[in-house]
Amino acid sequence: MSNSESALPSVHAHAPGLSKRIADLAIEYNFIVIFLAVVVIAATLSGNFLTFTNIANLFQQAAVVGVVAIGMTFVILTGNIDLSVGSVVALCGMLVATLLSQGYDPFVAVAITALAGTTCGAAMGAISALAQVPSFIVTLAGLVSFRGLTYLMTDGVPVSGLPQGFAAISSTMVPILPGFAISSMGLIFIVLCILAGLVLRFTVFGEYVFATGGNPEAARLSGLPTRLIVTAVFAVSGFMAALGGILLTSRLRIGQPTAAQGLELDAIAAVVLGGTSLFGGRGGVLGTFFAVMLLQVLRNIFNLLGLGSFYQMTVTGIIIVAAILLNRFIDHRKGRG
Amino acid sequence: MANDVLTVERVSKIFMPNIVALESASLNVRAGEVHCLLGANGAGKSTLLKIIAGAFRPTDGVLLLDGVPVELRSPAEAARLGISMIYQELDLVPQLTVEQNLFLGHAPGKFGLIDHKERRRRSSEALRRVGAGFSPDARVETLSVANQQLTAIARSLTMDAKIIIMDEPSASLNETELESVFEVIRDLVRHGVAILYVSHRLGELREIGDRVTVLRGGKTIDTFDVASTGDEALVEAIIGKERSLIERKTRKPVTGKVALHVNRLRGAEGLDIAGLEVRWGEVVGLTGLNGAGRTSFLKSLFGANSFEGDIVLEDKSFHPRHPAHAIRRGIGLVPESRKTEGLILHAPIYKNATLPSMNRSWLTRHSLQKQRTAPVLESLSTKYGKAEQAVVQLSGGNQQKVVLAKWIINGARILLLDEPSRGLDIGAKADLYNLVDQLAEGGAAVIVASSELEELYAACDAIWVFHEGRNIGRYDPSVTDRDTILRATILGENHVQL
Repeated sequence: MSNSESALPSVHAHAPGLSKRIADLAIEYNFIVIFLAVVVIAATLSGNFLTFTNIANLFQQAAVVGVVAIGMTFVILTGNIDLSVGSVVALCGMLVATLLSQGYDPFVAVAITALAGTTCGAAMGAISALAQVPSFIVTLAGLVSFRGLTYLMTDGVPVSGLPQGFAAISSTMVPILPGFAISSMGLIFIVLCILAGLVLRFTVFGEYVFATGGNPEAARLSGLPTRLIVTAVFAVSGFMAALGGILLTSRLRIGQPTAAQGLELDAIAAVVLGGTSLFGGRGGVLGTFFAVMLLQVLRNIFNLLGLGSFYQMTVTGIIIVAAILLNRFIDHRKGRG
Repeated sequence: MANDVLTVERVSKIFMPNIVALESASLNVRAGEVHCLLGANGAGKSTLLKIIAGAFRPTDGVLLLDGVPVELRSPAEAARLGISMIYQELDLVPQLTVEQNLFLGHAPGKFGLIDHKERRRRSSEALRRVGAGFSPDARVETLSVANQQLTAIARSLTMDAKIIIMDEPSASLNETELESVFEVIRDLVRHGVAILYVSHRLGELREIGDRVTVLRGGKTIDTFDVASTGDEALVEAIIGKERSLIERKTRKPVTGKVALHVNRLRGAEGLDIAGLEVRWGEVVGLTGLNGAGRTSFLKSLFGANSFEGDIVLEDKSFHPRHPAHAIRRGIGLVPESRKTEGLILHAPIYKNATLPSMNRSWLTRHSLQKQRTAPVLESLSTKYGKAEQAVVQLSGGNQQKVVLAKWIINGARILLLDEPSRGLDIGAKADLYNLVDQLAEGGAAVIVASSELEELYAACDAIWVFHEGRNIGRYDPSVTDRDTILRATILGENHVQL
């Protein structure tokens, strides 16, 4: 065998210098570098940016998209996509509002809603996995149907008059540092990111998610229950969308059937911006976290500068394309072509 | 030099940062000859081919076409100049018809409108030249691999290729199909086309080649006249020292009990296997033409294809409906294509190796996985850097060992190997069959399917011939000669009854 290797001298022959290691890290975690750069720009543009209040606001505003994007990360890691999450957020937001307005205990209402969202996701995942239909189509159908169901629930009328206690889910201020408190929904987002990161890294399920996305046939022939795994990641996505809906309704204090239109695209953009491959098998939730925050900071800058959402949309799109090109370049450099 | 179609002069290719794939390689191909290119895996064959086909640009050196230096900036430019490459995984569009494929990218016509009459005339002409027995209207996906191969050759002809590069055309063809491809090659050569033919198999080279250039470690070692050079000299040039081809060693008689007994197994596409059994410590070979049912038989045993039938595994009936069932009963499959079915290429070595055995707990422990991987890879004498390395960085032979390691780590005692040596060089093949021998020695039951009879002949205790989905004869290679088995493979049952 020695001759097989002779043409490829070991790349690790010399211990790389410190500066090269830092450069490699910066390339691997480019989303953090970009994020920090944008933060620096934001801080120089506005003295208000790096205040505790503003930072706490950032987390609060990012939380709904962020929670949904965590679920989306699982789905995209298996090489699938979930277009229905915006509609599931709205559906679950309305469901929890309706249950509360009918006098259900908040805990019961939240539990039922979470179960409903999980079921929606699992059903779409199961259809996609068992019937071998692309998840794009199944969840596109979900996007339309669940939105319709949301309107049907109250004939399109928002539900208001929710109990005070319910608002506490999203807006209890939790002190983290002296003088720095963050809203509970921001904290929920952070905690869920950490949990999801641990699941992906330290559980067999997480490993199976990467394997199924990396090569579904090899995974199946290694005895992995790939259909179950695909169903499960959609269940996770549905569960996260339900949480997103609950947080949204809690923050708005009304159930709004038109809420979260196009949220799926924000979530997908964040996942991809965070370096997760749309073909599956590569990426993680750390990138998603930073990408969600990056997009939020951008919105924040535009607001601080007094530029409207038209500018925001345009620039956000350009940044996503730039990030994808950067990742392609990195893949190319690493010979993953 | 006058009749040299293609001259490669001291071409080097260095990949960033410092991997030297080719070092001052030289080669000349004459009009009307079949020039073979031989070399072990990693010798630089594919790099050289890609440079000639315009897919890579050389770091140094020149290409001359009919004595004129050319600089190829893209495969399209190479094709315009008459260099046509037929890749191993034929780059045809399966959903389109033969005719559409023949003229993909260079259809006759004006202003973006296709001249259908002209295209039909020229495709019929090209298909006639390759002796195709199928219609230009057939969809490529409905053709056999051999006919697809002919389509790819015809496609080269429609581009007025002066030189056609064929990268291991034999890999997916059986012997009769290969013979018809050879016929076409001989005819083309008579008409002045030059062929650059890449293969691992010395036998083919003898049959078709005029001259052969051997590459080793990115350098061209020498060019030989095929007729006047012996196998030993070629093998020596390939691997750099005397090393014999796989030879049949006398094997100890198998004494183990029956591990797996297939009374009857019926599956899709006429698969019907009866009375096949494997004992502990036995290596059973499956041979047959392509489509004889070897792969679907192994996949059925592994629960990846559905079937009806009656199988007994260790005295208990066995009917797997998912690979997980077979794995639980101690079976492991090394699939036909390690890249698309065996491995997650960009994932680390240790994760690939422990994938089937991870389900024993809820949590992954990366250090434990590495600990379990290391000794097994060691015992398979796998060459690798770190366990975290992506498996794609390994050579083909070492990748195959990682696939094998998956099942050894999981404690599999019945191993199904489907074309395990495909794409491996001679040294790696010998290595692989030594491992098979060791595993059987250790008591495992092994079934090896291979289209290369020599390998089975050297390594197996028994060889089953598959023909059109049925197992038609069992041979003991210690008492039967190779040609008898080969004849059964090609002729099928009629021959056996004679």
